[in-house]
Amino acid sequence: MSLNLLLVEDDAVFAQAMAEELRGLDHCVTIAVDGREALAAVDSAPFDAVVLDRMLPRIDGMTVLERLRGSNMTLPVIMLTALGRSVEKVEGLEAGADDYVVKPVAAAELSARLAAVVRGRGWTGGSADTIRAGDIVVSPTKFRAWRDGIALDLGKLEFKLLAEFVANADAVLTRAMLVERVWGYDFAPTTNIVDVYVRHLRVKLTAAGGEDPIVTVRGVGYMLRG
Amino acid sequence: MRFRSLRALTLAFLLAFLLATIGTGFAIHGITLQTIERLVDRRILVVSDAIAGAPGDRRPADVFRRIDAAMRERDTGDIGLLLVDANGNRLGGNIALSRRLPLGFSTIARDDRIAGLSAGRALVRDVGGGMTLTTVAETEPFDDYNAARTRIYLIGFGSIVLIVVGGMVFFVVTIGRRIGETRRTVEAIIDGDMTRRVPIHPSGGEFAHQAMAFNRMLDRISDLMASISNVSNDIAHDLRTPLARLRSQLALALRRAETEAQRDDLEAAIAMSDELLAMFAAMLRIAEVEGGDRRAAFAALDLADLVREVGDMMQPVAADSGRQLDIAVDGPTRIVGDRQLLGQAMVNLIENAIRHTPAGTRIGIGVLATDAATTLTVTDNGPGIPADRRKLALRRFGRLDPSRHDAGHGLGLALIDAIVRLHRGTLSLEDADPGLRVVITLRRD
Repeated sequence: MSLNLLLVEDDAVFAQAMAEELRGLDHCVTIAVDGREALAAVDSAPFDAVVLDRMLPRIDGMTVLERLRGSNMTLPVIMLTALGRSVEKVEGLEAGADDYVVKPVAAAELSARLAAVVRGRGWTGGSADTIRAGDIVVSPTKFRAWRDGIALDLGKLEFKLLAEFVANADAVLTRAMLVERVWGYDFAPTTNIVDVYVRHLRVKLTAAGGEDPIVTVRGVGYMLRG
Repeated sequence: MRFRSLRALTLAFLLAFLLATIGTGFAIHGITLQTIERLVDRRILVVSDAIAGAPGDRRPADVFRRIDAAMRERDTGDIGLLLVDANGNRLGGNIALSRRLPLGFSTIARDDRIAGLSAGRALVRDVGGGMTLTTVAETEPFDDYNAARTRIYLIGFGSIVLIVVGGMVFFVVTIGRRIGETRRTVEAIIDGDMTRRVPIHPSGGEFAHQAMAFNRMLDRISDLMASISNVSNDIAHDLRTPLARLRSQLALALRRAETEAQRDDLEAAIAMSDELLAMFAAMLRIAEVEGGDRRAAFAALDLADLVREVGDMMQPVAADSGRQLDIAVDGPTRIVGDRQLLGQAMVNLIENAIRHTPAGTRIGIGVLATDAATTLTVTDNGPGIPADRRKLALRRFGRLDPSRHDAGHGLGLALIDAIVRLHRGTLSLEDADPGLRVVITLRRD
């Protein structure tokens, strides 16, 4: 997914390096160095999403976010910050951020999260009882899943993992994103929980034959082919 | 120590006060009686002297005359007089006696059945010629004087005692309440609620001054804590920013790398910076948990349910590494706490057990609830930790492998300890013989 991004970051070295990396991942990046510049940029050009540093000179990130939300801008915003305490995350999310990432963050992780929040905006949801990706069908309301018409026998966490993959088919999900969304934890486990569960899920998905639909993206995470 | 409690001191004071009051009552009573007796004695001596006359003037006729005169006179009309001969025969006077009184002064009571007299004093003297003169006077200014005096004592001293006891009770209750307010504030602050203050009563006085001084001290402490917290936020920002730069610079270099060897080196460098960041994140997490802010988000939860959930989640991870994870829970175990943090503590404990034991080890997680406490245990039958090194294991960066080549940053148990303390519990490492047993005890209240 190629996105038109606004990166609001006062640290020039970090901003340049991150911008170059994001461009390497096929995104178009504009840099704003403070809050005032950020608000002006958002007014003058359409962006798909904003990466917003919390601590900024002149107008700080929280104020920028409040002004964006105050003027009915539904533009997806990911807060990027050195402050990593839970209360600060909650503050950021309550102020209207779509995601909250603690510095430093790999460009691939940031890119995956940006894709997820932009996709999340386009998703209508609700209308269909099932979600589908290729030959995999998941019914979140019935807690059932099928591949190629054959019902899959999944544990609770395996089911949640598959549902997350199907809902985000063809997009990379990082391990941190999966821990947050499937396990509901705000910390990084030191063991390979995600890898173990993905391996179990793969075994169950391919038990009745068929190709492995989950792709490992080295150093980043996993992706389900749709 | 027990005798120094406020209540014991008050009781001791009241006892002393009562004894003093009763003693005073008896002393007043005794002195009053003595004084009255002395006055009455002096009076009957004067009357008796006058009637007896001088030694040469004691003819019976003269004595009779003087008795009659005394009985008629207003000043001496209330005095009882009796003249008897050597054989005890009554010769004259206005009273009769039921017994013979000894010579000299004596006390008369109601038993002596003298008409109109309940208590008095008598003086018996020889007036010559074998005759004996008895002079009697009342020691009571009015009838039932004793009963009236008792009433006066009861009402007078009784009201004093009531006022003092009432005052003491009021005093004790007031002081107790003020001390209680201070204690509750202190307890709330020990539990991490730095916003609590001692209420200041508008009436002012010593307690209000004390409370104000105490509150000023608390304000100062929270200012200091806030500035420490600001410093740590600044450190977080100041250190994470250059680390973020370093990491993105390395990532950029990796993208531009031309040879496989360069890529390997850069990936290793990125992994090292990630390790550094993980250690940093763990330190900030410990600081956050120790700050106690998360206690505001405490909610009722079923610990057995959480153990089952975490256990189920970790079983495949344990199995994947060749270890077995057993879960032992009974019925629901209700506690109040932070589900996220308790879950993290359990995950970290199981991860520790997996990391520090050989393949084939059995790991167990369980909950035991008694009336007094809820205990969460994670046990393994691996090599364990020698008793003298268990304390080191709980210390920050206290890693047992001196070469420090194993995985982890040595902050795992310190974080778990902080989480347990946030829940007002205790963490201990025990010998599972063989293996290690980590015990988390949460008070029930």
